[in-house]
Amino acid sequence: MSHLKAAASRTLQLAFVLWAVVTMLFLMFRLMPGNPLAAYIDPTFTEEQQQALMAQFGLNEPLWKQYLIYLGNLLQGELGQSFRYREPVAERIMTLLPNTLILTFSSLIIAYAFGIIAGAWLAWRRGALVEKTAIPLVLTTRAMPEFWLGMVLLAIFSFWLGWFPAGGTRPAGANYDSLFALYTSSDFLTYLALPALTLAIYSQGLPLLLMRSNMLDVMKEDFVTMARIKGLSNWTVVVRHAARNALLPVMTSFAIAVGYQLQGNVVVETVFSWPGLGRELVNAVSNSDYPLAQGAFLMIAVVVILMNLIADLLYALLDPRVSHA
Amino acid sequence: MTETLLSVRDLKVSYKVGRGTLDAVDGASFDVPRGSIVGLVGESGCGKTTVARALTRVIADNATISGGQLLFEGRDLAAISEREMNAMRWRDIAFIPQSAMNSLDPVYTVEYQLNEVLRKRGGLGRAQARKRCEELFEMVGIETNRLGDFPHQFSGGMRQRVAIALALALNPKLVIADEPVTALDVIVQRQILDQLRELQQQLGISVILVTHDISVVAYICDRTVVMYAGRVAEQGTMEATLTQPSHPYTMGLRNAFPDLQGAASGMLTPINGAPPNLALPPPGCRFAPRCPFAIDKCTTVSPETLEVAAGHGAACHRADEASKLRKLATRTETWMTTEMAEA
Ligand SMILES: Nc1ncnc2c1ncn2[C@@H]1O[C@H](COP(=O)(O)OP(=O)(O)OP(=O)(O)O)[C@@H](O)[C@H]1O
Ligand code: SF4
Ligand SMILES: [Mg+2]
Repeated sequence: MSHLKAAASRTLQLAFVLWAVVTMLFLMFRLMPGNPLAAYIDPTFTEEQQQALMAQFGLNEPLWKQYLIYLGNLLQGELGQSFRYREPVAERIMTLLPNTLILTFSSLIIAYAFGIIAGAWLAWRRGALVEKTAIPLVLTTRAMPEFWLGMVLLAIFSFWLGWFPAGGTRPAGANYDSLFALYTSSDFLTYLALPALTLAIYSQGLPLLLMRSNMLDVMKEDFVTMARIKGLSNWTVVVRHAARNALLPVMTSFAIAVGYQLQGNVVVETVFSWPGLGRELVNAVSNSDYPLAQGAFLMIAVVVILMNLIADLLYALLDPRVSHA
Repeated sequence: MTETLLSVRDLKVSYKVGRGTLDAVDGASFDVPRGSIVGLVGESGCGKTTVARALTRVIADNATISGGQLLFEGRDLAAISEREMNAMRWRDIAFIPQSAMNSLDPVYTVEYQLNEVLRKRGGLGRAQARKRCEELFEMVGIETNRLGDFPHQFSGGMRQRVAIALALALNPKLVIADEPVTALDVIVQRQILDQLRELQQQLGISVILVTHDISVVAYICDRTVVMYAGRVAEQGTMEATLTQPSHPYTMGLRNAFPDLQGAASGMLTPINGAPPNLALPPPGCRFAPRCPFAIDKCTTVSPETLEVAAGHGAACHRADEASKLRKLATRTETWMTTEMAEA
């Protein structure tokens, strides 16, 4: 009961944060210097289009009324017209969002799977030579700039060895029946490989070091000693007891990392010409495509907020001290 | 005389600290007769836990068993391979730790943790294990519908019962309980000790009960092993050691604790001073700096164990004068003098 209530209050809290972001976006784009209409209307739109948008967003109404119309539009997924693409922002974002999510999740899943296993293993081998050489190595990968890492991988695996394509999501001129067909094609995987690998290498350090230090702490716990006194196998002691407990905070950090990575994606999406949300946001801002920038920004905020909620729920799910309070 | 289950001979356990070593247990010898409860008692830091853990051979990373024998049914646990030792863990020798809260894994149900030993160590099938879980919970007096609960859902006393159930799971011959009731309030302490006593007699197992509280020993133990600064000061039957203590340290300990029944028997008199630094133990008797009866010899020659009665020994140069010293020891002034001498 009480944890249902906690989940509900947490959801409400995040709904409030979302509302605050939405309101801030409204104010930011309305109170920009210059013509307030600039947020929605490009001077090169036809007279008709301009009139339609004026009406749709109530642009000659007082500000408070505009705000209500804006909220109403948002609820219907109406984000205006992209200046640059001449298509609804919502549509544009929906074609980019899957690319970003696939790249983010695939790279983070690789990074976390690797980091968790390697971190646990290094903790178990504490003091051994592997540990002493691995830790500085991991710290080095943490310090490498993403774009540099991306270029190096490109140079080796794409330009030199020719194993992977250099950028984009599909071969030139290739067409797929549906987005689903694209994402499940083997071509897509070859395009995904390098950017995902870049991000994975860039991100594995956090879960690895976190897992390792948690493991070192947990291995000192009485229940781990007791597991040994029970004569349980090394595997059971290290994996079932130590790693299982050390995993809790790492899993939560995964959800947070997704939100964090969405910002980090910009660089990698640019290096690999990956049509994702981050790259589009940067382009939209530099092209003064305000509706698109606003939409992309909002979408990223929504994902970040959602992942925070998931992080909380995940923790409750994995830790019986929370779920069975 | 009953058969001896475990005989600890001249046990030495050292910890590596910095560049040196610290002999936390320095030549301890005592016996555990089959079917009895042996109280291992002494002040904090005297090496009780170190002895207890040495018997499982799950010791700290910086610890080594550097000498002596641990003869369990005649077999030296200190000499067998790790593989042989592991086969004996929990099946022959089980452990009840001080804090059941920290020694149960928080993310698994109690049933999971019982099943783990029953199935992985005891080789039981699923259905058998389930039956045994229920049996064990009934033995320790917890409703079986709580098997699926997580450790944090139990009260402190109940968690300690769970720890007892866990220790008894595979019918061990020896249960080592390291301060099993120290964290509990007095009423719960008695309930748990009563339960432990009852189960021990019912199952005919042997128990080593580690405690710093001599009243716990008086309450349930058959025999007493008094440790001081890594060595055994005195041992014998519980009655003999507590009614006719023959080592000044035991005499002092007896004055320092109220009994578990709650009745404060006269004034409590603490033993002044602190145990020696084990990294630099004093020559001769380790108790000498605090002993009101110390003579010159005490500061130079380490006392051998003297048998004052059959099965009752004390490592003290003046053990043969024990009855005289006992009388002096009941006086508070006796223990004040050391303080003044030191001050
Ligand atoms: N891992 C370790 N490294 C170094 N010294 C240790 C270690 N563990 C224990 N010691 C030292 O060894 C001595 C004996 O410790 P032990 O834990 O066996 O005492 P104890 O009688 O169980 O005390 P307590 O009543 O406090 O539990 C103490 O001086 C302690 O400081
Ligand atoms: S040997 Fe001496 S110092 Fe030690 S306990 Fe006996 S009388 Fe006291
Ligand atoms: Mg201890």
